[in-house]
Formats: sequence, structure tokens, C-alpha cells
Amino acid sequence: MKLETKDVVVTLSRKDIVKKVSLQVKNNDFVGLLGPNGSGKTTLLKSIYRVLKPSAGYIYLDDADISRLDYRQTAKRMGVVSQFNNLAFDFTVEDMVLMGRAPHKKAFEKDTEEDYAIAHEALRKVDMMDFKDRSFLTLSGGEKQRIILARTLAQQVEMLILDEPTNHLDIKYQIQIMDVVKSLGVGVLAALHDLNLTLMYCNYVYVLKDGCIVAHGPTEEIITEELIRNVYEVECSVERHPRSGKLHVTFFSNLKEA
Amino acid sequence: MSKESLINRKHIVLRMMIIVFIIILVLSILLAVTIGAVKIPFGDVYRIVLYNATHFKIGSLETGILIGDLDFASKGTMYEIVWNVRMPRVMMGAIVGVLLAMCGVVMQATVQNPLADPYILGISSGASLGATFSIMIGASAIFTGFLATMGTAFWAFLGALGAMALVMTLAHIGGGRITSAKLVLAGCVVGSLCGAFTNIIVYIGQDAENMKNVTYWLMGSMTAARWHNLPLPGICAAAGLLFFLTQLRTMNTLLLGDEAAITLGIDLGKRRRLYMLITSLLSAVAVCTCGIVGFVGLMVPHIVRGFVGSDHRFLLPIAALSGGIFLIWTDVLARVVMPNSEIPIGVITSAIGAPIFVYMMIKKSYGFGGGDR
Repeated sequence: MKLETKDVVVTLSRKDIVKKVSLQVKNNDFVGLLGPNGSGKTTLLKSIYRVLKPSAGYIYLDDADISRLDYRQTAKRMGVVSQFNNLAFDFTVEDMVLMGRAPHKKAFEKDTEEDYAIAHEALRKVDMMDFKDRSFLTLSGGEKQRIILARTLAQQVEMLILDEPTNHLDIKYQIQIMDVVKSLGVGVLAALHDLNLTLMYCNYVYVLKDGCIVAHGPTEEIITEELIRNVYEVECSVERHPRSGKLHVTFFSNLKEA
Repeated sequence: MSKESLINRKHIVLRMMIIVFIIILVLSILLAVTIGAVKIPFGDVYRIVLYNATHFKIGSLETGILIGDLDFASKGTMYEIVWNVRMPRVMMGAIVGVLLAMCGVVMQATVQNPLADPYILGISSGASLGATFSIMIGASAIFTGFLATMGTAFWAFLGALGAMALVMTLAHIGGGRITSAKLVLAGCVVGSLCGAFTNIIVYIGQDAENMKNVTYWLMGSMTAARWHNLPLPGICAAAGLLFFLTQLRTMNTLLLGDEAAITLGIDLGKRRRLYMLITSLLSAVAVCTCGIVGFVGLMVPHIVRGFVGSDHRFLLPIAALSGGIFLIWTDVLARVVMPNSEIPIGVITSAIGAPIFVYMMIKKSYGFGGGDR
């Protein structure tokens, strides 16, 4: 599975939010999308998962122009965990996860044993099986996020789009969710805030600023003190951690005494 | 270790509930026919119903199935009351109840707003305007030919369609996808606009007799039900139900919000337009046959959702059946509560439904269909 954008431009209220962005996610790449607030990460992802229409450029899924596919076909191949939005209606956790099976089902088809097995497996992966009969609206923000991930897992896709999937989560579940996603071995495009998580999981990154890609390449080559200063406007040091063997970013406060 | 089924037992129970509700609906129809201002013995009522419903087969010498003296079964007052007044009325109650409750469920899913119903989306107010126009001014005063001869029902239907077209156009203004917020706001705008015009017509008209008729129509009634005006709403209800039964999974997905629906493979704009069009047509049919029966479209889905949850595979059929059952019995009340007179059914639907709904609201677990089990 390959996801590719070509010179994508997204215009909101007559302003170009995303400007001619081209990127590529191949097979089981774990690709990070970095950039400060308002750099266009979410907007770009929304155009990829078809909530927004690009005003120019193309998005390809395995060489097929997604604007020509029907929504069901994209849903079978590409799953999305977006920044959570609240619901007006309630479902049990189990029913919620079962909805991930929707793109695979015909209009009148019942949920089979297999669908339940897939949904339960997804719930176990996010460590939420004990919650299966709970009402979704009574869950905490982090629990909801894990259920949404489980729903996306039940969709059994080959490409995952994640928009800050670790928002609302405490550190244990940040790592758990990223581990789950990484272990799937599917293509991932994830907008991330946390540079250290990015260094831990992503093998390639694109850096957005003001809607343009300002840098891209293997994660360890791109995340440098200079780039962070230019893009995020903060001072930091990037050093190899003695135990993990990975690069680690430490930020410095602007206050003198801190 | 024996392999236990993974399928949630709740779903099996709910599936059985659908069957139970079908049985209750049929029993309600049969019981409601025996109740009315004129006392007719059970036996006689069923003899008349059986004889006529089987096209004079049961009870005739031809088939040999005899059910006693049948002189009264094909003519006379009792025949008229049971077969030509009560039966169509009960059927109409069932059909309109199914239509309204079904439209409520679908509209709530379509605009992802638990407050949606034919009222909120302006359709009923369009129908009111049409009916008021027809009763107070009279089409013949303005039009000639075909339009002049049409009755109140036709104008109510036209008003409902006009209102719907206006709502959809307003929701489209500014381009982009139709959002639920736009739809609800457009519905409110069209609703108050139609309300204003209705008031002007009533104010200018100043005819006491007509005003009474308008008021009566606005409160809804099943009195107009006859065999000849049953087929249209009947066919619409059946066709609508059949169509929406194929859309249950899509409707579930719609409840998750625009973004989730799209990422789960729903062509949101297309579905939304289609569902709005069909529910508008169906509620227009319901409203034009028996006036404005409030409450059913909004509250019945909510009450049922409180018990069975938001899953449309169970919610839609059970809500539709409950709507039918509910309207049959409210119509029975409308007929018998006041001797020698009839209460508008809209009054009763609200009087019964409102307290039930308040109870549902107070009950802590009510979360628009969730609640811990």
C-alpha cells in the first residue's frame, strides 16, 4: 500500500492553508508529520482522509486518485484516528468498535462471530476489553481515544492516518498506542507534537511550516537543534540517550533562572 | 472447553423484542376496533371484521365456515361504525404513527441532532401554512382549474414540500457540504417564516367558523380516515420502512459525526440529501392526511432509545412499531375520554408523552441511548 500526495493545496476561507505539499508513505513506513500549531498538519490530513477537498493537486492511494474512489473503497484501505470530537448519541464500547466493520459489510448484513472476534481482538490490543459493555460517553478522554483506535483496528486497513493520536493520553497509554500502531506493520502517517515520541517510532518525517514542507528525511537526520530552533522557535539540545540508544530532545526555558 | 458465542446476548434479546412489538401492534389494532362511543359487543365486532376482511369468505355458505347470524355484517349502523369508521381510523393511527416515529428516528440520525423532527426542520409548519391557506382563503378564490379543486390535504402537502425545498436550499447557501447545524438553523428560519404567514392569514381572515377549522386541523385528528384515503399513507409507510431497513448500518455510522462517517466509508452529502428528501416526503404525507400530530416524531424515538439504545438495527423497527401502537391508543383515548365529543389527538399525545419524557430525562442513565448496563 502506498499513499502519495502531489502538490496538494487546501484553501480555507480564501486562504491557502496547505501549499503544494507532496509526500509519500510506502508499505510499512511509520511517517511523522511535524510542525508547530497552525502549520497545516490537520488540514493536510483532512484532505487526505477526504473531509476536505484539495483545491489543487492529487492524492493517490496505490496509484488510484482518491477523489475518483467511492468513500467505501477508501474506508476499506485507509483508517483514521483524528482529534476526538464529541458525540450527541451514545453507544456501548463494543458497538462502537463493531462500527469499524461497517465498510466491509453489505447494507443488510448482520454482524457475524468473525466481526465480534475482530472487534474483541482490537479491544484487547488497546487494553479496553473490560470496558466493552460500558457506555462510550461515560469514558474519559484518553479511554475514548483508545476506543477510537480500536474501531480503526477493526477496520483492518493497510494505511493509518493519525492526527495527534496521543493527545489526552497519559504516558503509559501514549507508549501503548504507539506500540500497537507500530506492531501492525502497516503504513502510518501521523501528525505528532512530541518530538521524542517521533524519534522513538518514526523512520521518516516531514516538517511543515506555514503550509509548506521545509524539511523531510529519515527522522534522526531531520530532527536537529537548528531545525527545531527554526521551526518551533525554541532552544534545545539533541543528544543520544545512553540507555535507549535513540536521539533525545531536551528543551530549555527562556527564563534565566530556570 | 465449549466455544461460547461472541455475539452479544443483548442483540438477540432486542431482536426478539421486535417480534414482541409486532404482536402488540396487531393486538392493539384488534382491540382498538372494539372500543368507541357506541357500545358494540366483542363478538359482533369480530364477526363484522372477519366477514369483511376475508371478502365475505368466512361466514358464507360457500366455504362452510359459519360464524353465526351475519345480517348485520354487511349493512346497517353497526357495520358502518365498525367497518367504515373504526377500522380505517385504527389503521390510519397505526400507519401515521409508524410514519412519524420512523421519520423522527431518521431525521435525528441525518442531522446528528437528538432534537430533530418534522417540526424542527420546518416541514410541519409548511404543511400548516398550506392547510391554513386552503381553509381560510380557499384555493378557489385565487386559482382556477386543477388547483382550485384540491382539498386541504393537497395544500398541506404542497406547503410541506415547499418548506422542505426552502430548508434544503438555505442549507446549501454558502456552498460546501450540508452540515447538521445549517439544516437545523434553516429549519428554524423556515418554521418561523411559515408561522408568521399562517398567523397573517388567520388574522386577515377573521372568520370564526374557519378559524375553528384551522385550529382543529392544527391539533390533528384521525376523523378523516376512510378506506379510500388509507392506501397512499399505507404504501408510503411500507416503502419507507423497507428502504430505511436497508440503511440501518449507515444511519448508525452517521451518528458518529461527519468526520467519522466519512472515514468509515459513508458518502455523507449524498446520504443526507437522500434521507432528508425521503423523510420530508413521508412526513408531508402523514401531516396532510391527519393534521399536525405533535410529539410522536420527536419523543417516541427518544423514549425507545432510552430502552434499546442508539443502534438503529433495533431502534428503527421498535420505534416505528411503538409509534403505531402509541397513536392507536391515543386515538382511542381521543374518542372515549369526553362523552359525545372528541379531543384533538395532538393534545393527548403531548399530555401522555411529556411526563414520560420528563421521567426519562430525570433517570440518570439517559444519555441519548447509552447508559451503563
